[in-house]
Amino acid sequence: METTLPRGTQMLRIRPWLGIAAAASFVVASVMALFWAPTDAVQGDVYRILYVHVPLAWLAYLAFVIVFLASVGWLWTKRPVFDAIAVASAEIGVLFTGLFLVAGSIWAKPTWGVWWTWEPRLVTTAIMFVMYVGYLLLRGLSTDFSRRATRAAVFGIIAVIDVPIVHLSVLWANSLHQLPTVLRAAGSPALDSSMLLTLMVSLGAYTLIYAYFMTARVSLEVGRQERLWTT
Amino acid sequence: MDNLIFIVAAYVIVWGALLAYLLSLRTRRA
Repeated sequence: METTLPRGTQMLRIRPWLGIAAAASFVVASVMALFWAPTDAVQGDVYRILYVHVPLAWLAYLAFVIVFLASVGWLWTKRPVFDAIAVASAEIGVLFTGLFLVAGSIWAKPTWGVWWTWEPRLVTTAIMFVMYVGYLLLRGLSTDFSRRATRAAVFGIIAVIDVPIVHLSVLWANSLHQLPTVLRAAGSPALDSSMLLTLMVSLGAYTLIYAYFMTARVSLEVGRQERLWTT
Repeated sequence: MDNLIFIVAAYVIVWGALLAYLLSLRTRRA
């Protein structure tokens, strides 16, 4: 098979700076979230979990959209780097989904009185989590690289359907979960300006963390592929 | 801070998991 793998030198050059930027913005975002942002008039301080819950959720959506795009890329071009991007993004997406589910559950207990309830947003999110765990497990079923990448790509294209379903589930059905407060069809975000700023800084920090993890994980996968071709 | 235990639990779990994933990437690269 043709090995059109990038040498990854640019990625290696960027990664340390990306790591420093991610760490610095993470510290700033955490200080803002825990100490600078005002206390919520209704929920009190427990709402501060929002600053990890929401960015992780948005980044998980992004991660699964990247899986979709990379899957299309693999099926279209058969370039192995697309498969490396897909598996890296799926793995990080599963991590972020698991974490925002746990953070959301911890937030639910003091605000809803329960750790978990079978309502549309939570159920569709749990399905999304299980689907992408399935995506990662599916990759282990075949040792043939091309077959594995193609099967995973088809799965990655189908599974992305759940992302808009998760986001819009609170609008489609009666939901205990809060309605969208930032990405609203009705107009501007329904959030205090300093809370919105903290959320945006947190979103930036977690985006940099996602990007840093992606460069490291893709380079790991490309290295695996290179070893596969040479053996 | 009210409900401090919930805030601490959420942040510690998220930060801990991100750190563990970072370390796992470094271990796998070695």
